[in-house]
Amino acid sequence: MIVEKIIERAMRKAQAAQAIMLTQETSEVNFENDRLKSAESSQRTQIDLKVIVNGKVGVSSTTDPNDVEGVVSRALEAAEFGSEAHFDLPDAQSLEPVKIFDPALLPLEKPEMIRMGQQMMDMIKSYNPEILAGAGVNKTVYKVAYANSKGANYTADHTEFNVGAGGALVRGTDILYAGHGIGQKKRAVDTEEIAAQAIEYFRLAETIVPIESGEMPVIFTPSGLIALLLSLGLAIDGKNVHLGASPLRDKLGQQIADPRLTLVDDPFVEFGPRTSAFDDEGTPRKVTPLIEKGVLRNFIYDLDTAGRAGVKPTGHGSSRRLTNLVINAGDTPYEQMLRDIPNGLLVHEYLGLGQGNPINGDFSVNVFLGYKIENGKLMGRVKDVMLAGNAFDALKNIAAMSKEREWVSGPFAWFSGLMPYVQVGKLSVTAK
Amino acid sequence: MQDRLTEALKAQDVEYADIRVEDTTNTWVNFRGPDLDTIGSARTVGGIVRALYKGGWGYATFNDLDDLPKRVREACETAKLVGRDTTYFAPAEPVVDVIPARLVKDFRQVPLAEKKATMEAYNRIVLGYHKSIQASSVRYADYFKTVHYANSEGTYIEEEIPDVNMIVAAIARDGDVVQTAFETGGGADGFQSVENFHEKAESAARKAVELLAAPPVAGGKYSVITNQVMTGVFTHEAFGHLSESDFVYENPRMQELMQLGKRFGGDGLNILDDGSRPGGLGTHRYDYEGTTTRKNYLIKDGILVGRLHSRETAAKMGEQITGNSRAVFFQHPPIVRMTNTYIDQGTAKFEDMVKGIELGVYAVNSIGGQTAMEMFTFSAAYGFMIRNGQIAELVRDVVLTGNVFDTLMNIDMIGNDLGWEPHGPGGCGKGGQHPLRVGLGGPHIRIQNCVVGGQQ
Repeated sequence: MIVEKIIERAMRKAQAAQAIMLTQETSEVNFENDRLKSAESSQRTQIDLKVIVNGKVGVSSTTDPNDVEGVVSRALEAAEFGSEAHFDLPDAQSLEPVKIFDPALLPLEKPEMIRMGQQMMDMIKSYNPEILAGAGVNKTVYKVAYANSKGANYTADHTEFNVGAGGALVRGTDILYAGHGIGQKKRAVDTEEIAAQAIEYFRLAETIVPIESGEMPVIFTPSGLIALLLSLGLAIDGKNVHLGASPLRDKLGQQIADPRLTLVDDPFVEFGPRTSAFDDEGTPRKVTPLIEKGVLRNFIYDLDTAGRAGVKPTGHGSSRRLTNLVINAGDTPYEQMLRDIPNGLLVHEYLGLGQGNPINGDFSVNVFLGYKIENGKLMGRVKDVMLAGNAFDALKNIAAMSKEREWVSGPFAWFSGLMPYVQVGKLSVTAK
Repeated sequence: MQDRLTEALKAQDVEYADIRVEDTTNTWVNFRGPDLDTIGSARTVGGIVRALYKGGWGYATFNDLDDLPKRVREACETAKLVGRDTTYFAPAEPVVDVIPARLVKDFRQVPLAEKKATMEAYNRIVLGYHKSIQASSVRYADYFKTVHYANSEGTYIEEEIPDVNMIVAAIARDGDVVQTAFETGGGADGFQSVENFHEKAESAARKAVELLAAPPVAGGKYSVITNQVMTGVFTHEAFGHLSESDFVYENPRMQELMQLGKRFGGDGLNILDDGSRPGGLGTHRYDYEGTTTRKNYLIKDGILVGRLHSRETAAKMGEQITGNSRAVFFQHPPIVRMTNTYIDQGTAKFEDMVKGIELGVYAVNSIGGQTAMEMFTFSAAYGFMIRNGQIAELVRDVVLTGNVFDTLMNIDMIGNDLGWEPHGPGGCGKGGQHPLRVGLGGPHIRIQNCVVGGQQ
């Protein structure tokens, strides 16, 4: 195997080495502006090497499997001036069995993918022919091979399936984009439900309603929770914690959120969008409770940051990326949560998220897709509205969580996870 | 490579095909806090074949260059699966051209050790500036990319694209308040473009510390003056994306909205996109369909007069090609993108703009922007209140938002001081393609009744 050959070459000069190789084939069909626009086949190869020489780290990568000598010599050169290694590569360990490969996806060919896309397009067009509809179906099959000089040697075959549909509706100077999609590692998918959900966003937005500035209760949809999760994700990143940049750096074991909230990072969800058994550093993945009943339980660490901080790596890869996030279901039915609000806002999508100072928790975003709640009912879409607040304050100020949960994943999503609707006490809403 | 590509294209049996192969070598040096974070290098080789048949596109992307004719056939077969209508594709003169890089200090010859030492010096300046500096981030990157492009019409273009870029960021903390400030540098002409950056590194640290004491701006409606970088971001984000005709060409409603001849602003308003401007971040001699780049007026004297095209959108709309079909990496087919977009300078002096404002905000530099057609939002790195015709206290968390049509109409003064965003990392994102190098520019402009986000 190529990764083993690379390790062998690298170890002639290095004291430790790991190599990871990705080989991937993708098929994709895209509908744009009401018509089938393009289809694509792609082949990808990527090899990443990390070496430790005299206690220093060097990395290099290549797309050419015949460039073993080149990738090894560049990594060794980088190691001469590299950062100090604060870690050992992990030993070979037994891995959790995971469901990440669905053979049913293998025979799926472009004509069938085109048919699936066309079906979603037709549904959207029959709801409203004025919508310029689009859809995409993407199938990926890939293999990851990992090896290191400690004898760890893992391979994993993955399948991935991303399906989405949406469109644009222009009325006068008003332009509305909405869509829905899913991403998962198995074939079984309900295209009708995806199109129906996309249509629901358009239906709720049929009327544009005014809203007055002020403090009001806000319901975050599962996708809309990104406004809070973005800051939380940065603040639990072990590197930000170690560097002192995280406002949660000294809050482990403390109450940081409403006691009804539990948030877990679960890499073992069956066919979950980010499910896998090991990360790109050879660390076996495991379930990481992040918040339990409002109490902060864990930060996430890669090998090097863990070494610097004197803790254990959590199996989130060298870039410390969360896997499948799961928030527990609440005890309020969604309809009741809505009914209990005389005047408020339901928020689903934003513009300008991540600008400003997200690690601090502060957000000030344009509500791109949001709906006014009046006397317990969704009245219509709001426009030119800014939502501002602090994510950490909001997590402490949860008023209700829905019984219902939805998967957030796929082409329209910022993160992957299973989430309820979350109502936050009061937030500042500025309307034009 | 010219022969290989030309030979491979003989396998095509569609209406149009092209092939683009890129060979990139890059290195990076990143410091976070006092420690070196990562250092390394990579080589990426790959390509894409595009085939056009009856209005449908087939693409094949690959890292493996061994069997190019096979990739061409694959793309053609896929295109035939998709094509059901009529092909629209504007003609372009075939060209054969080779564009070599021009480097003063070739960064490929600079040892990693020197790159590291240069960045380490800036990092030390930031960390040593003040006790409230909590962390730093110094990121250096360079790449040398050779792009080979050939199409079935006989065009072959080989372009070397060198780039060196750097960001020096300072993170200051006081209690729970954390503030970040940064300076960027770099250029297309070699490693010297990131040398002698010591004063800028210090100024990033100074700004982060100053912002700790600055209050957040109070949300509301203000008269706003944007500096050159912010004007550039506004022009790009709020208006530029609407000029990309792939949003328009198959959308009758958008065509109505973006009808040429329509008034978008006052007489003094001129907005241009110019891919041929020397030294710009978005400058190239040709786009990725072999079209020569040029200076395109989008708004002239307040009237919409043009938009940006690929060969497909130009043909579909019956307009002239503009040379705006661009792609970030070989994995992507080119799509309609901006190059160097700017508001042309007017006649107003900065002092006169400030003078007329009783209560306003001066928004300086940018830390990002986003747009969804007519709605936009972008964040200034920092700002100043304007009180009684004078620049007053420093404020933070300045986020501008609004509707582009209203906002362009609300520009009441255009400065005489055209400037461009400095070189740095990053770029524009669209359709999953990020970061594309674009130039952003403009003079100081004054906007009336602009919504500034924030807690009230």
